[in-house]
Amino acid sequence: MKIAVVNTCVPFIRGGAEHLGSALNAKLREYGHESTLVRIPFQWRPSEKTIESLLACKLLDFTGVERLIALKFPVYHIPHPDKVVWLLHQFRQAYDLWGTPMQDIPDTAEGHRIRDVIIRSDNECLSAIRRIYTISPVVSERLRKFNQIESQVLYHPLLESNHLRFVETGDYFFFPSRITQGKRQHLAVEAMAHVRSGVRLVLAGEPETPGDGDLLARRIEQLGIGDRVTLSAGFITEREKAALFGSALGCIYTPYDEDSYGYVTLEAYHCRKPVITCTDSGGTSLLVKDNETGLVVPPDPKELAAAMDRLYANRSLAVDMGNAGHDRMLTLGITWDRVIECLTSPA
Amino acid sequence: MKVIIASTMVPFIEGGATFFVEWLEKTLLQHGHTVETLLFPYYGHYPTIFDQMLALRLLDLHDTADRLITIRTPSYLLRHPNKVIWFIHHHRAAYDLWGTPYQDIPHTPAGLRYRDAIFESDELAFREARKIFTNSRTTGDRLRSFNNVESEVLYPPLFQPERYSCGEYGDSVLYVSRLTKHKRQDLAIRSMPFVRSGAKLIIAGAPDRPGGEQELYALARSLHVEDRVTILSSWISEEKKIELFRDCLAALYFPLDEDSYGYPSLEAHHSGKCVITTTDSGGTLELIADRENGFVTEPEPQAIAGAIDRLYQDRQLARRLGEGGRQKIESLGIRWDRVVERLLQ
Repeated sequence: MKIAVVNTCVPFIRGGAEHLGSALNAKLREYGHESTLVRIPFQWRPSEKTIESLLACKLLDFTGVERLIALKFPVYHIPHPDKVVWLLHQFRQAYDLWGTPMQDIPDTAEGHRIRDVIIRSDNECLSAIRRIYTISPVVSERLRKFNQIESQVLYHPLLESNHLRFVETGDYFFFPSRITQGKRQHLAVEAMAHVRSGVRLVLAGEPETPGDGDLLARRIEQLGIGDRVTLSAGFITEREKAALFGSALGCIYTPYDEDSYGYVTLEAYHCRKPVITCTDSGGTSLLVKDNETGLVVPPDPKELAAAMDRLYANRSLAVDMGNAGHDRMLTLGITWDRVIECLTSPA
Repeated sequence: MKVIIASTMVPFIEGGATFFVEWLEKTLLQHGHTVETLLFPYYGHYPTIFDQMLALRLLDLHDTADRLITIRTPSYLLRHPNKVIWFIHHHRAAYDLWGTPYQDIPHTPAGLRYRDAIFESDELAFREARKIFTNSRTTGDRLRSFNNVESEVLYPPLFQPERYSCGEYGDSVLYVSRLTKHKRQDLAIRSMPFVRSGAKLIIAGAPDRPGGEQELYALARSLHVEDRVTILSSWISEEKKIELFRDCLAALYFPLDEDSYGYPSLEAHHSGKCVITTTDSGGTLELIADRENGFVTEPEPQAIAGAIDRLYQDRQLARRLGEGGRQKIESLGIRWDRVVERLLQ
């Protein structure tokens, strides 16, 4: 089948969503399909740009393609007779982030109109699509709550996991992720001012803006914890990442209300490492079960510090939780066989 | 520098423009730049051309990169304050092919308005650009005559030309190209009955439609030259192609009225071989000068056969004209470092 995987992109930014798009494209080819990945740039600032991007998608032509798999807002608005959606997320600023500090759309009459257009367009478009998959129960739940649209959860596996292995139990927690407000690296950094044990923290990832990286670096300096906190702001290779995972004590991942469990948790569990996450982190709760596969604590530096100290003091507990996380991932059936079957079966 | 290369494509169809983008990306990366390549689907068919053009226009790349380089039409409609256009061709059905059977917009008042609007949109984008380069003088001339726009020729080089080398000046002339009507491989076969020397012909390329190679075989048989003609119609590796160029006597390349000189001409020259082309081939004439780096003959079998025989009988001439090809590439400045320098200036 001739398939176009369509994703949005912000030029020069690579994160989990970009990874998912290229991984899906590569796997479709591996499974014998003719697949091409198309990335449509998306701008949402100022807010009128959101509407321009939405309109652009409605005007694009994918005539020669037999199946279109759309991953995000606004590319699921691209017209196509055989469209399947595997939804990473909608434009959250208009939905669950509305009314929070991350709303981004101005609270003006114009802002409200923009939000209305997004919601009404989504309702109209998504209700006409026969099959909608989402990457997590959180995304499905939002779709039900805000758009009254039913969907099915289809978990996303890692593209390659062979390089991810347990090496040893070290003395640091690893936090690999794009450095940005929403991932809340700052919580982990603040926690390091409260830890009592000799635990260390290693942060790695590309700052979304140079400011994001600077802010974090400054805070580490202010707190005087530079000797126990390592910040690698910039691109790291898969091999470097695997090495840092393999020898960590555990992984710490504290995003705010994520849609999905995120690649970080999958990577951690492939390496049999426990994960510390927050009660408000959203999708991570599927894999991270408190006291079983990791620790789930309130988004409070002191609580995070206590969780880190606890695993530092009890290494065998950390090892057990890491093993349990690995098992949980397999039990949930997060496999490419299932993904490809769902996305390519006749509409 | 952070550079976005934007172009359009027809999904699942690879063409010259796709390679062009890939090579440019690799070269910019090698030069230490950060590159993001965006390929948008675009079908140049009436009546949805406008919707597709508008879609591109609505995408604003402001603040994302230091420079936007656009390649295939109509990617130049993308918005960016630092836009450079490397122009390959117009939507030709509305421009130079208007009034030919390729014209797909109806010749009605509404159709004419549609065509005007394409001109206006193009010209808006041309005005916005910092600079417009073209891949040939032919394309530049069209920009001037249709849109009254000045441009600079920036010839597209071959990717990693150092992979090519010169071996023997063998017995065969070589025609490497997609097997399609306007490339006129049939003219090469029809020249063979007039070849008096022992020269042979090798045609290599995939047919653009199933069975395309069978017609060429049939033609060779009907002219009783099948023992001197080899057709390699299945996919051949880059290594095999390089080998064919390395050992051939000379290359043939005589498409009908092409816009640009075509990669086969460059491949021949980088292999130290000259090119036989014809007076009606268009862009090849910007590169090939008669008796300097090849032969420019009438598009007639006898004339082409005459050129082949001369080279067969005089290998020193074949060598000298092949060497002339290398010099020509140098004097026209067909090199990647120049491309990078001009595009990012």
